[in-house]
Amino acid sequence: MNKRRAYNVYWLVWTGVMALTTAGVRLWQEATAFEGTYGLPIPGADASVVLVCVLMIAGASLGILAANQPVVAPPRTQTRGRRWDTSFAAMGDHIFLALMCASAFGSLASVPMLFGRGRAMWKAYQLAVSMKTWKGGDNGILSMATAVLALLAFFGLLQIGRESYRAGRRGRGGFWAALPACTGCGWLLDTYRNCAADPVLWDYVPLLLAVIAGMLMYIDWAGMSCVGARPRRTLWLAGVTVVCSCVALVSRPETGTTLLLISQTAAALAALWRLPINLQNPPKVGSQEKLTTSAVLAQEIEIPTENQEEDTHV
Amino acid sequence: MDDEVQEVVTPPARTQKDTSLGYELYLNVRTLVFVLAVLILVFTFVVRVIVVSGESMENTLQNGDSMLVWCLGYTPKQGDVVVVTQRSYQNDSLVKRVIATEGQRVDIDYNTSTVYVDGEALQEDYIKEAMRVPNYGEGINHVTVPEGCIFVMGDNRNDSADSRYPDIGIIDTRCIIGRAVMVLFPFRDVTLL
Repeated sequence: MNKRRAYNVYWLVWTGVMALTTAGVRLWQEATAFEGTYGLPIPGADASVVLVCVLMIAGASLGILAANQPVVAPPRTQTRGRRWDTSFAAMGDHIFLALMCASAFGSLASVPMLFGRGRAMWKAYQLAVSMKTWKGGDNGILSMATAVLALLAFFGLLQIGRESYRAGRRGRGGFWAALPACTGCGWLLDTYRNCAADPVLWDYVPLLLAVIAGMLMYIDWAGMSCVGARPRRTLWLAGVTVVCSCVALVSRPETGTTLLLISQTAAALAALWRLPINLQNPPKVGSQEKLTTSAVLAQEIEIPTENQEEDTHV
Repeated sequence: MDDEVQEVVTPPARTQKDTSLGYELYLNVRTLVFVLAVLILVFTFVVRVIVVSGESMENTLQNGDSMLVWCLGYTPKQGDVVVVTQRSYQNDSLVKRVIATEGQRVDIDYNTSTVYVDGEALQEDYIKEAMRVPNYGEGINHVTVPEGCIFVMGDNRNDSADSRYPDIGIIDTRCIIGRAVMVLFPFRDVTLL
């Protein structure tokens, strides 16, 4: 059991170390790499250079960890793409369930913040239009859309936790991760819209990277229940999501954004906690259809080309 | 005979493709996510699309024009149309033309409506009309541009808040978002700048 647990411990410890290091360097950068009143960046500041290096090291080292992640391919199924269906199965795993619940409720808590901000901007926009003083800018639509999508993400994340915890009944919990991925799309557009006129990249690039990493992680997560299963890349993206989210969090973004960052960090930690275990030791659970399928498969003819097609995704 | 062998070695379809609505939906969402991520990265580091607000760059740019702005590795040159955000003035961006770069001397003569850079009169075919003294006074009209800064003016000189205006003044090059390279929209105005 310890041997099987080892890799998720590696993932969690190393991701934690990299997250703390990058967050610390980001704080150092904020304290030393920007000029007084208007916050313009000091060219070639040590902290900025170090932060870029640390982020690259984090990405590379997590990539090495992903490349060395032991993966035992689960048995093939009759329907292509469902082979990795139960990769997030976590029967009786309270930690996974708790992290997914934290992620879901973090997303839910962000809804009133994002919607309130969007509504206030929409009112200001309407007022400016009626007074014919509107000169362009954010009218709040994207914030409100992100809030609605965050509500959908809440249901999706909760469903992932539920179906993974009781995976014996249904085994396609991962597919629900497409909902938070959609939230990521709205959130990314909203974040970009808010910073399009900012000439200082360092003000918003960490947040953009965190949102993109989270979005890609969720879509890979959802892909585990479809033909797009790439378990090692999913793990790498989960690690990168934690690191980038921590960097963005120490910049003290507004409350709605903070809650969404916490939400995706909790989901990424849940993935890092559970996925390495299931990759090393594929769970023998699933729907009745899958159990029947497994029995049938034992007598089936091996087809090398199709095996390769699926295994390339590993 | 050959046909018979073919039939024997061709294996029965072991797998069937998942063609459910959920699967199709996933593929669409995945495409959307990847395209969006790439687009946002490109529109952050390489180019941006910025909409002109105001008349300060007439007749080169009209209010509401959408411009493609090149951001990657841009070094300002005299005559370029640039997008800047002067935080001391406002958080929205400004679109102006670079009149002088670091180390150059700018002298503005309102009587003859001429701008001199390092003592040479600029041939400015792009300005909308002859310059008049702005309502805030002559402002900054004799200055040597400091290191790492640029002096910018709008092409519509009589309706432009630019480097002459003391609240804006000389612009730090770190405030530059990028260089406007072409007008994208409306289509009838598509042109290289």
